[in-house]
Amino acid sequence: MSERSMAQHDAPGAGFEEGFVDADDFRIRYMVSGDGAPLVHLHGAGGLRLTPAHDLLSRRFRVIAFEMPGFGQSAENTRTRTIRELAVTMARATEKLGIESFNLLGTSFGGTTALWLTLEAPARIRATVLEAPAAIRPEGSEPPSGSPEEMARRLYGHPERLGTIPVADPAIQAKQRTLVSRLRGPDRDAGLERRLSELQTPTLVLFGTLDAVIPPAMGRIYQQLIPGAHLVFVYDAGHAISTERPEAFTDVVADFFERRDAFVIRRTPTLIHP
Amino acid sequence: MKISFFETARYRSPEPLPSAWPAPSGFYDRGAGARAYRDMIQRLQLVEELGFDWVSVSEHHYSPRILTPSPILAAAHIAAHLKKITIALLGPMVPHNNPVQLAEELAMLDTFTEGRLVVGLLRGTTNEYLTYDLNPLEARERTDEGMEVILKAWTEPHPFGWQGRYFQYRTVSIWPRPLQEPHPPTYALGVSREACEFAARHRIGCGVSFAPFEIVGKSTRYYREQCARYGWQPTPDHIVYRANMLIADTDEEAHAMLRRQPDRAPFVLREGVRDAFMTLDSRNVAGEARAPLRSGPLPTTFIGSPDTIVEQIRRCREEVGAGVLDLSLWPAGADDVDALMRSLELVGTKVLPRVRDI
Repeated sequence: MSERSMAQHDAPGAGFEEGFVDADDFRIRYMVSGDGAPLVHLHGAGGLRLTPAHDLLSRRFRVIAFEMPGFGQSAENTRTRTIRELAVTMARATEKLGIESFNLLGTSFGGTTALWLTLEAPARIRATVLEAPAAIRPEGSEPPSGSPEEMARRLYGHPERLGTIPVADPAIQAKQRTLVSRLRGPDRDAGLERRLSELQTPTLVLFGTLDAVIPPAMGRIYQQLIPGAHLVFVYDAGHAISTERPEAFTDVVADFFERRDAFVIRRTPTLIHP
Repeated sequence: MKISFFETARYRSPEPLPSAWPAPSGFYDRGAGARAYRDMIQRLQLVEELGFDWVSVSEHHYSPRILTPSPILAAAHIAAHLKKITIALLGPMVPHNNPVQLAEELAMLDTFTEGRLVVGLLRGTTNEYLTYDLNPLEARERTDEGMEVILKAWTEPHPFGWQGRYFQYRTVSIWPRPLQEPHPPTYALGVSREACEFAARHRIGCGVSFAPFEIVGKSTRYYREQCARYGWQPTPDHIVYRANMLIADTDEEAHAMLRRQPDRAPFVLREGVRDAFMTLDSRNVAGEARAPLRSGPLPTTFIGSPDTIVEQIRRCREEVGAGVLDLSLWPAGADDVDALMRSLELVGTKVLPRVRDI
């Protein structure tokens, strides 16, 4: 069976189990599935939503997708003051789960969190993948807002291909929006950017060529600031790369986590007939 | 109006050739081939002296009709002999080539020519799917993706990877980059909705060809509408129109020349292949379906005396909006090179000076 048909067989995330862990006096929900090396995922500003990419990754990794404090059904988070603090909380949550070292995937807002987590706990991170990270933004950029249709046009390159897009509870959305606008930080965070040159962790930055939330050209700045960072464009995907092109996303992400810098070496056979 | 000459490296066969495509390689005469390329350079020196703005070359395979299977090599050869004229590659076929290699070679050419390069990128005619075994169902998508790879390779300053549908690269970082910043004037060629949309979205030009004004006008109108949707307005220089022209001292002579042209399609395919392509390939004019293959010759849109032609060019500007006219003078494949040279002289001396201000 092809990856595509396997991934679409059940609702995304059907094979995941729910768990909770306490860290910094937050009760943090997570979804987990798979065996293999641990892969921690930190979601974007819209909260945790499992996609076919989670399913595909869980065939090669033990995927732990957290719902960060203040998102989804969790209580409103008025305590966390900075995104760096949020990253420290998430590092503690992984410790509590007994995960010593792990691959780290951060999406958009979660990409910024993942960068801070990598800076705060570098010895524990094997490699970091930033999916359309929001840590560096053009001046005056605004997170997506408006009607579900307007949101979809910002988030996806081809919303028409996705079928019905689930609409989040307005109360949860409002709660998350307040938290994100408090934590997201300035468009260019000099404090964060100064520290990026310290990073020794293999880092891959992904941008969809149709990203209408963060321009893909921001990818260059990560390459300038993070020593040895890789940039890969995912063609024809918008901001939500893993939702729009789960197979393409998983292929490069899994390859990078498994082989790190050596992922640039092609291993796919091209032999036609033996 | 800028005027371009479409150079096809006229091959004069010492013996009659079968009309089918592909033409059997065994019919190729090595001496005639060498002469065709030598004559090409002589002819283009005249084209440059006559004041043509561009010379264009295109990619076609497996036939003497247009003897430039590598238009990039042809352009490099031309660039080594001509010093002023703009060289237009209209164009390399994207879907069956390696787009990163195209980006590199085009950047080299732009540098060789000291920035005299213009690039058109395209899917290619239906028969060319047989060249290098391209799946017709994938051709459109491969073209769009490949064009995007080329634009990215020209403009990204750091090594990058590309996770595409049809192309995958983990390391792209081309040297040289094009001389022109950010890249040579580039056109997406084709009358289809997809080509026009691609051009509009990427703020590049649009190139249409070999159909009457009212047909190509639909595409250029659609292109301009799409540009407006993306918040910009193209100039006439953003629209290139390639068309057949037959020019003579009088209208009557020109029409007599047309009557002498062979009455067949440019690429005659075996019936079974042709029928299969009719269902496997799909083509459109600004979204309206059209047949993928022609049953007859390409239309001759510009025909008559210099006076008539000047009027036709004026009308073309109004109806098509093109700022560059790429002329297939004396149809490609016709080996009456003397007639071609007379046409060139007529265009150069009697038409060019009168269309500059159109």
